[in-house]
Amino acid sequence: MKRLFAMALILVMTVSVLAGCGSTSTEKSEEATKELTVWLPPIGENDKPVWEPILKEFEEKNNVKINLEIIPWEGYPEKYATAIAAGEGPDVGYMYAEMFPQFIKMGAVEDLTNYLTEKDMENYIYIDDCKMLGGIYGLAIEAANPAVLYYNKDILAELGEEPPKTWEDFRRIAKKATKDTDGDGKIDQWGFSQGWGANFFGDLNWNWYGFLWQAGGELYNDDLKTVRFNDEAGLETAQFLYDLKFKDKVIPDNAMAQNNKEMLQTTFGPGKSAFTIWLSSAAHEILDKSFPDLNYGFITSLENKDMGTFASVDQLTLMSATEDKELSFKLMQHMLSADSMTKFHKYHPRAPISKDEPYQGDPQLKEMIENDKGIYRPLVVAPHGVEVYDYLWKQLQRMMVGEVEPKEALDEAAKYANDLLAEDQ
Amino acid sequence: MEDIILKKNEELKKSRVRTFNKRKILKKSTPYTYILPIGILLLSFYVIPIIMSIYFSFTKYNIMTPAKFVGFKNYLNLAQDKMFMASLKNTIIYTVGVVPLQTSIALLMAVWITKREKSRLNELVKGAMFVPVISSMILIGIIWRIFLNGELSPLNMIFTYVGLNTPNWIGDTKLALPTLMGISIWKNVGYFMVIYISALMDIPKSYYESARVDGANKLHEFFYITVPLLKPTTIMVVFLGCIWSLQTFDLVYTLTGGGPGVSTMTMVLHIYNLVFKQFRAGYAMAVANVLFLLIAIISIFQRKLLQRDKSIY
Repeated sequence: MKRLFAMALILVMTVSVLAGCGSTSTEKSEEATKELTVWLPPIGENDKPVWEPILKEFEEKNNVKINLEIIPWEGYPEKYATAIAAGEGPDVGYMYAEMFPQFIKMGAVEDLTNYLTEKDMENYIYIDDCKMLGGIYGLAIEAANPAVLYYNKDILAELGEEPPKTWEDFRRIAKKATKDTDGDGKIDQWGFSQGWGANFFGDLNWNWYGFLWQAGGELYNDDLKTVRFNDEAGLETAQFLYDLKFKDKVIPDNAMAQNNKEMLQTTFGPGKSAFTIWLSSAAHEILDKSFPDLNYGFITSLENKDMGTFASVDQLTLMSATEDKELSFKLMQHMLSADSMTKFHKYHPRAPISKDEPYQGDPQLKEMIENDKGIYRPLVVAPHGVEVYDYLWKQLQRMMVGEVEPKEALDEAAKYANDLLAEDQ
Repeated sequence: MEDIILKKNEELKKSRVRTFNKRKILKKSTPYTYILPIGILLLSFYVIPIIMSIYFSFTKYNIMTPAKFVGFKNYLNLAQDKMFMASLKNTIIYTVGVVPLQTSIALLMAVWITKREKSRLNELVKGAMFVPVISSMILIGIIWRIFLNGELSPLNMIFTYVGLNTPNWIGDTKLALPTLMGISIWKNVGYFMVIYISALMDIPKSYYESARVDGANKLHEFFYITVPLLKPTTIMVVFLGCIWSLQTFDLVYTLTGGGPGVSTMTMVLHIYNLVFKQFRAGYAMAVANVLFLLIAIISIFQRKLLQRDKSIY
């Protein structure tokens, strides 16, 4: 009897193990036939309740159930990759520039060129930024939040300086601003609180791209088969940043341990630096809220040979694996409609993404958003972006910690990038 | 009639043989039935993945499209991969630095605690030492980032208060890896201390009493009784520590992401980046197999040492 019981127990355990390894396809087939899944990252602080009424309208009009999942930024592309590989990805997704090449190459996202009407092409403000690798693989949902150079008005006034326009102005003011204000022999007011300690290459957005474009440089050559960030302009950019750190000593010592957001909060916000660089939305979301006494201003871009600063154009994507492409695209259009985005931007104020949507963003930024389009721009979507930028970030970190010279850092990153790109040819 | 009886006897005999065979088979198969569930688990989650990883390490594979066979290319590329070389070097330094220190501290703490009479302080120390063990590594990474980062972080404020320069704990390429090693030791010591405490409790008190009668002092007791009799435990603690250190990932991922530069890049973090950020799964599996080989060598070495160990008490 005991043996029989033991055998039965083993059988149950074995079946459980096998069941655990199996799929849940049978459960799914019993559910409603029309069901769409949308994956979004957290754009604001609490997006789900804002999106739910918008999506409910679509559900009622189209007799469809929509599952909205907010995917945390931590491990965001990893979640997409693993889910798509397992056939469990969303019907409508959200991607940023660096993510696109790999998913386009795998055929995971749909080219929207044939879905878009002339009216759509006219209406979506950032449609040209969505053209990539021979197609239109997404529609902008989050744009016009450029990296800006914040300056402390009080520090500049004390130094008798105006907001900088050129690299020379910036460097001069940063040098003058770096000083020991309490006479204890330690620097406690810095010129430029720029963070180089991020463990992710995302901080290239504000630390590198803008300065590179201002120097007249680019990341990739036009054919996207080789990189050019180690050319003369790239070298001038790297040397400029290197000199700020080691020659002028205007960047705080703990720059290698903090990211730019942390620098904004720990150094610029409390009034301990003349300049910092980060997203324009931080004006309203961080500085005004956490540092109400800070007297600050900002400029979109410094000028060297050119002007330029980074502004991402993140996009909604139609996933190729969706069973009903027409319905999923219709959902994308609904989410991006002036009506829906007006409702969304009411809670998370941002610039409009279509011409028929009113501006509801920070009033301080309105002029910049309307007049500086062209100065702020996204990355060109290029093959192996993730690997190239990750390696470049690590080499620039090595440079900013004094391990290597600017040329060595850039040449090493360029060699790595060109070798990778050559594998595809 | 006789024929019928003979036939029946024959049938009875055959049926007995059949029953006997059935019993014999059932008896022989019973142990295998007992290990079947764990066998399936081991096969599904250990053996098959290892075989698959060996296969995929010879391919160019991005986890979404079919793998393409490339022979030994991935392994040949390893030698030229500066990130891999840095991660290998860091992982070895990390292991060599962490394991002896955490083992020694755990042993000393365990001896100190077991030698003391049961007291509140004793219990407090034991509890405090074990708290980091049960805490999530991700949480620990976030807390230590706050604790170490910036002029106003608690640790730096203490340094400033006593008139010392505040080190750039995770921003200095020379200091970042030792800082991670220190945090790792702090987290693991409690676990190994508990293992040592249970082993120490197994050593008969009479050994110490006899030694004391012979004139041994505390140091003699420690080096001639405690340490030799704890040898099997120490071997286990050292090798478990080695394997944990070789697999370091979450602390580095949350605290430094492998930076600044590549100063804290570990092998598992490199594997993670290759698979999930760069989608180079085939190449990542080549790196994973090198790590697997390292761990396998250490495990075989440990087995040999344990087999050779004859200490009994």
